[in-house]
Amino acid sequence: MKLLTHNMLTSHVKGVTKGYPLLIKATEVKVNQLDFNPQFVSRMIPKLEWGALVQAAGDLGYRQDLPGELVVDYEQNEEFLKKVHRVLLEVEVMEGSLKCPESGREFPITKGIPNMLLNEDEA
Amino acid sequence: MQNYNVIFRSISRFLHPAVQRSSSSLQTIIMSSDGDKQPAEETSESVNASSAPSPETELTVTIGATVPTGFEHTAAEEVKEKIGVDARVSRDRGRIYFPVSTDKLFQVHRLRSVDNLFVVVKEYDQYHFKESKEETLMELQELASKLPWTNALEVWRLNRTLKKKKGHRKGGHSTRAKPDSEVCDTAEQQQQEPAQEQSGDAPDTESQPPETAAEEKLVKFRVTCNRAGDKHSFSSNEAARDFGGAVQEFFQWKADMTKFDVEVLLNIHNEEMVVGIALTEESLHRRNISHFGPTTLRSTLCYGMLRLCKLQASDIILDPMCGTGAIPLEGAIEFNSSFYVAGDNNDMAVSRTLNNICHMQKRRAEKGSSPGLPVDTVQWDLCRLPVRTGSVDVIITDMPFGKRMGSRKKNWDLYPSCLREMARVCRPGSGKAVLLTQDKKCFSKAISRMGGLWKKLHTVWVNVGGLHAGVYLLKRTAGVFGQTPEDVHESPARVYKQTDEKEDD
Repeated sequence: MKLLTHNMLTSHVKGVTKGYPLLIKATEVKVNQLDFNPQFVSRMIPKLEWGALVQAAGDLGYRQDLPGELVVDYEQNEEFLKKVHRVLLEVEVMEGSLKCPESGREFPITKGIPNMLLNEDEA
Repeated sequence: MQNYNVIFRSISRFLHPAVQRSSSSLQTIIMSSDGDKQPAEETSESVNASSAPSPETELTVTIGATVPTGFEHTAAEEVKEKIGVDARVSRDRGRIYFPVSTDKLFQVHRLRSVDNLFVVVKEYDQYHFKESKEETLMELQELASKLPWTNALEVWRLNRTLKKKKGHRKGGHSTRAKPDSEVCDTAEQQQQEPAQEQSGDAPDTESQPPETAAEEKLVKFRVTCNRAGDKHSFSSNEAARDFGGAVQEFFQWKADMTKFDVEVLLNIHNEEMVVGIALTEESLHRRNISHFGPTTLRSTLCYGMLRLCKLQASDIILDPMCGTGAIPLEGAIEFNSSFYVAGDNNDMAVSRTLNNICHMQKRRAEKGSSPGLPVDTVQWDLCRLPVRTGSVDVIITDMPFGKRMGSRKKNWDLYPSCLREMARVCRPGSGKAVLLTQDKKCFSKAISRMGGLWKKLHTVWVNVGGLHAGVYLLKRTAGVFGQTPEDVHESPARVYKQTDEKEDD
């Protein structure tokens, strides 16, 4: 699971209103090489929940001094974009779980795939 | 027959020596019906050349391509984009034609929207078939020796070289060109014996060890006929048989239905007739998938669907019923400046998707590219997507057909719920969906009730595994989810409680 995906995932357990962001507990993390595309990164940033991304990156140990708030003119800052690229697309959680911040329900991650299926009573 | 020598000689003057080398084998084929010695002498000078043909010796031929029916225009767009020429859509659905010069031939293999490729020998826009079967078939037989085979065969040969370079035929068999002098010597011998093909490249890997490559190898061929139209007096089998017989006579090739070198295509659609030579052996449509599922979509169809939505850089694309992941995988490879999330509720589907992605990554790593692909897989319930509202740009998926998977009754309930959920996660105003379904009735009904959320932009009618299906291009309206007319009347408790949150403020 890449952190870009994590940025979009939310808990949908019945009754939960604050199911975002999911807390990552990782037992295995991998870094995969993926071609850097600056346009992709700079256009993706406005679509992200920046705080959640930085938090998740930090939890995995890959914060790389990304700022807590977005800086101005990041589009031209290639070094910054490269760091964001790494954290969004190259760092992958292979084993672990995602935890709903409100209900505590854990969704397991196996071979990089989070299983978000709910049981009958939780839906 | 004398004509052929004249034609051949005039062509060979244009052909660069390197091309002439392989042309010597062409002339042996033509010479089967004519014992004229002269051309052999001409080609004996061509022995040592080894460089690529120079620009003025390029041949331009017409290439035909079969594409998923309904996606002819998307394929033509791709041809324009990648090869720079205008393609013509034939009246016979599922085919496009475009001109290519031999130096650009390799580019046709980069096309992602085509299933099969062939080089046109001759096209007849209005072929007047005779009234009776006997006369028609007789005419077809006579045609075999009159067709302009030369250029097409040249392209066929060139194409084989390209494929071998690509490593299509792996394994220890020699792919080095035989010394040209050998070709030339045997060419002279050929005049009396039945002509045999002397390819500069090694013969089929399945048969010959390198030593026997030096022997004359008989070209094996077959004729495939596709016929459509209600005014013909003959069947495709009869046409293939008689035309094939005449081709065999003319070239002295050997007919072989399974292990053929040359596949001659005879496509007849009402009054339109095209004779061609196949350039692809297996259909290109299964290229990405190594782990198949029960309803895996052709990659060419996936590509067509992806092109339909005019993807932009950094678009986030969801396939909430991904099956084996065919669509997201094709997207991650061909339209790689976007990001794909493939999801399914089924264990096997998720596992196959993962395997297909891993397999592709391994192949890329082997070729020296960065293995990473902009795609992720999640296991989820499509009617309860664990995804933030309005965070997705495009939804592309193959919806259960009800015949091969699911059931008609299930679709009545499934379609409305998943269309709603897809509307929720899709970005209002700019979001799009491209949905493939065979259950057009159910789908249309479901969509008609969601005017506040989805607008139908365009529909492409396609054929999937013999079933008539529709690819619907939808636009997400600017309407806020939960506040459009259809929601105001519905009462089920919504997990997301958007309107409630607003009231709390």
